Amino acid sequence: MELYAVLKITWWLLLGVLLIGLAVMVGMDMGIGAALRYFGRTDGERRAVLNMIGPHWDGNQVWFILGGGAVFAAWPTIYATAFSGLYIVMLLLLWSMIIRPLGFEYRSKLPSPSWRNLWDWGLFVSGLLPMVIFGAAIGNMLLGVPFHFNWYLESWYTGSFISLFNPFAILCGLMSLLLALYQGSAMVMNRGEGAVRERARRLGTWAGLLALALFTAGGFWVARLSGYVVTSGDDPAGPAMPLRKIVEMVQGAWLHNFSAYPVLWLVPGLTYVGVLAGVWALRRGWSHFGWWLGALGWIGTIGTVGAAMFPFMMPSSSNPSQSLTVWDASSSQTTLLWMLGWTIVFVPIVLIYTSWAFWIMRGKVTPAHVEGNDHAY
Amino acid sequence: MHSLQTVVDLSRWQFAATALYHFLFVPLTLGLSFLLAAMETVYVTTGRKIYKDMALFWGKLFAINFALGVATGLTMEFQFGTNWSQYSRFVGDVFGAPLAIEGLMAFFLESTFVGLMFFGWDRMSRGKHLLVTYMVALGSNLSALWILVANGFMQSPREAVFNPVTMRLELTSFADLIFSGDAQAKFVHTSIAGYVTAAMFVAGISGWYMLRNRHMELAKRSFRMAALFGVFASIGVISLGDALGFIDGGAQPAKLVAMEAMWKTRTPPAGFNVIAFPSQKQQRNLYEIQIPKLLTPLVTRTMDTVIPGADEVENQAMVRMKDGIPAVLALKTLSADPTNQPALAQFKAHEQDMGYALLLKRYAPDLRAATPADYQRAARAVIPNVAVIFWSFRVMVLAGFSMLFYLGVAAYCSLNNRVQDRRWLLKLAPWLIPAPFIACEAGWLVAEMGRQPWTVYGVLPTWMSVSTHSVGYLVFSLTGFVLIYSAFIVVEAYLMLKFIRKGPDEGRLAAPLH
Amino acid sequence: MILLRMLLYLVISLVTLFLVILLGQRGAWYFAWVLGTVMIVLIAAAGGALLDAQEEAKQSGQ
Repeated sequence: MELYAVLKITWWLLLGVLLIGLAVMVGMDMGIGAALRYFGRTDGERRAVLNMIGPHWDGNQVWFILGGGAVFAAWPTIYATAFSGLYIVMLLLLWSMIIRPLGFEYRSKLPSPSWRNLWDWGLFVSGLLPMVIFGAAIGNMLLGVPFHFNWYLESWYTGSFISLFNPFAILCGLMSLLLALYQGSAMVMNRGEGAVRERARRLGTWAGLLALALFTAGGFWVARLSGYVVTSGDDPAGPAMPLRKIVEMVQGAWLHNFSAYPVLWLVPGLTYVGVLAGVWALRRGWSHFGWWLGALGWIGTIGTVGAAMFPFMMPSSSNPSQSLTVWDASSSQTTLLWMLGWTIVFVPIVLIYTSWAFWIMRGKVTPAHVEGNDHAY
Repeated sequence: MHSLQTVVDLSRWQFAATALYHFLFVPLTLGLSFLLAAMETVYVTTGRKIYKDMALFWGKLFAINFALGVATGLTMEFQFGTNWSQYSRFVGDVFGAPLAIEGLMAFFLESTFVGLMFFGWDRMSRGKHLLVTYMVALGSNLSALWILVANGFMQSPREAVFNPVTMRLELTSFADLIFSGDAQAKFVHTSIAGYVTAAMFVAGISGWYMLRNRHMELAKRSFRMAALFGVFASIGVISLGDALGFIDGGAQPAKLVAMEAMWKTRTPPAGFNVIAFPSQKQQRNLYEIQIPKLLTPLVTRTMDTVIPGADEVENQAMVRMKDGIPAVLALKTLSADPTNQPALAQFKAHEQDMGYALLLKRYAPDLRAATPADYQRAARAVIPNVAVIFWSFRVMVLAGFSMLFYLGVAAYCSLNNRVQDRRWLLKLAPWLIPAPFIACEAGWLVAEMGRQPWTVYGVLPTWMSVSTHSVGYLVFSLTGFVLIYSAFIVVEAYLMLKFIRKGPDEGRLAAPLH
Repeated sequence: MILLRMLLYLVISLVTLFLVILLGQRGAWYFAWVLGTVMIVLIAAAGGALLDAQEEAKQSGQ
């Protein structure tokens, strides 16, 4: 296989890793934000819950920023087409996300109940909406998005904003929200005590089981969807030029990879194993174990989408032959190679100091602890 | 055409407004992080608790500012794709890389350690916490490094080549990208401008405390450290600004024209316009006060180099537009058949001027039918808005030198330990807090408005960089940004002032709810 | 143990020195930024410490 093709596959896998990192780490924080008023009934409890992720939310959010940056660097055509095509959705995502830093940092700075309630609802919106949009975006990728290019590759989006919130996309959005709630609950169990921990156990159980139900429903739905198949002309080592291939829409095509390589069925299997075992672990009170099993569930979910769609990344429903695939939407070989170098050097370093940060801040967070702390949120 | 113009204009307004807003918070983060590290260094080496109090108090103000910097930074990451998608696709191969590395190398470092810095005081040794604070400072400045590496590419794109098969710019040398002179000078200039911002902020508030005889021990020490920090940083900003002007002026004659309001090419040594009222329409200054013979040595370091005025820049642009047309025409052929040898040869021969032909395309959609009047209009567009850039530049320089002067005097008085008796000096301090912020915003305008009408200088015109949106989309997003950002700045300013007034000793920051 | 730690510091400082020299050859301004930042942080810190010394001298003088 040629180097360029290998690099493209590597970056497709790395994108998967980043999306999983984003889903697990940012999803956990957003699940906590969305369910903050459920986890904590009193202001003290809510502050305790916020401070469980207080030292980490900012670092976690970088998974999201890095995800955007990596798509820009490694898949510029997708970055440009998706962000501009889904304009209104992207802005809603952005606006809900920028409330979050202020919600964390400003909420507890004033002792007024209405001030704090306002930011609680801000955190609710900035937890719920981004996770729904994240899942809905992936759902829309499975359906295909109506866009096309002109001869010099300017992209035109021809759908409406409302059509992005179709039933299938909403199902994916809810599933993503539920997994985030699960992950957040596991974290709150890790670092909470008493009633807060009990509520987290209940929410985590229900969120996990419902997520599996939606995952199953989504699976049957996908089997009946029109998938996309490259019928000619997409060279794995070819230049990043998405206008020179022919693609057809075939019902059930998203299962072709699974029938060609039955071993791939293990990937959705991971979701079931992870979440079911995770729910069991949460019931037993082994929340740390449950947290890691939830991460496994995310790996299975995002892996399933990737396995179904490969080599497609962003299919076009209005002009299927101009769909964006792993082979024709990437950066040049030079850039992919350089970026891989930086990734190999820096990702281990990041993982080391992130783990160190979690280790330093380990332990239970209680309302009493928060009252006595100078910088607490 | 009319609606495209509106979309381009609104997209520019939105980008400029959100970038300038973001840039209100960034410089303070860049500088205050290192100033906090300096305070904590004294705490760790001498063990005096007052320095920990200082680090904690200024750290609280840092946190209020930091949250908004993070929030508004997200917008910047989105906006290249949402509003400038043709730009993103065209240059993503080059421009995306530093942005991704920024996340990987800088944001992770800064954001992971900032949590430990705020929450970890009692959880680790003094030495480790000091290291954490330094990592925050390093991380925030590294993020400035990478975004300015990306910006350096927009200002002088020499490390990329257009690939007619993929219809975009592709990276040729990563080292050239990082070590471009423009990126280097601009990073140092911007980072150190942040140091001055933090110094003026801390000195201003400390001066205000001393004037009211509050928190004297903390204020005196903070003032001393800020003044010393700031005076050296000011010297650095000014010398690097000069270097940046030299590099940028060489790479972008049109920006230099605008900075100096120089419409006509003059026999060297040319005079320096201290004050001018430029008229873009008439291409002359309605009024000017000039120091003779000063400009040429300032800008070229010689007495006899000719500096091209607007007339010369426009003439050269017209030549390049004409020369670039065959390249654009060849592209159309190549898009259908990338192996067409004659078209490829035609493209290669005119490649270096393709950007100028693309600029002309806005006025003459059919390039083969371009009239002299079209050339004339396109050439006029090569000169950015002179009045705004000329005055922004002077405001920035004036603010820079005022701060240097003030901080110099402040450092002198503080070193004599007489600063608490110099009431006028203390009274002046809070009034100077806006100066660095104004200078930073003005500097952004000079650098980025001065780059117009290009997003990538000489290669990709701004009008071709926008997304294919309807005006309605832009109205929606602009309205949203105005509403949200206005609410944010009110909240931020309220909290900032509240905690400044409250001062360091007034108990805990996050009071429990009763 | 102490020796090992000293050795580690020595290695770190040598590597840093080497990197900074490399940096200085390609990027004069980056090099200047590293030096300048270290310098002004230290000057500011020293200025703070000096103030404590001045205050003590004043108090013992009175």
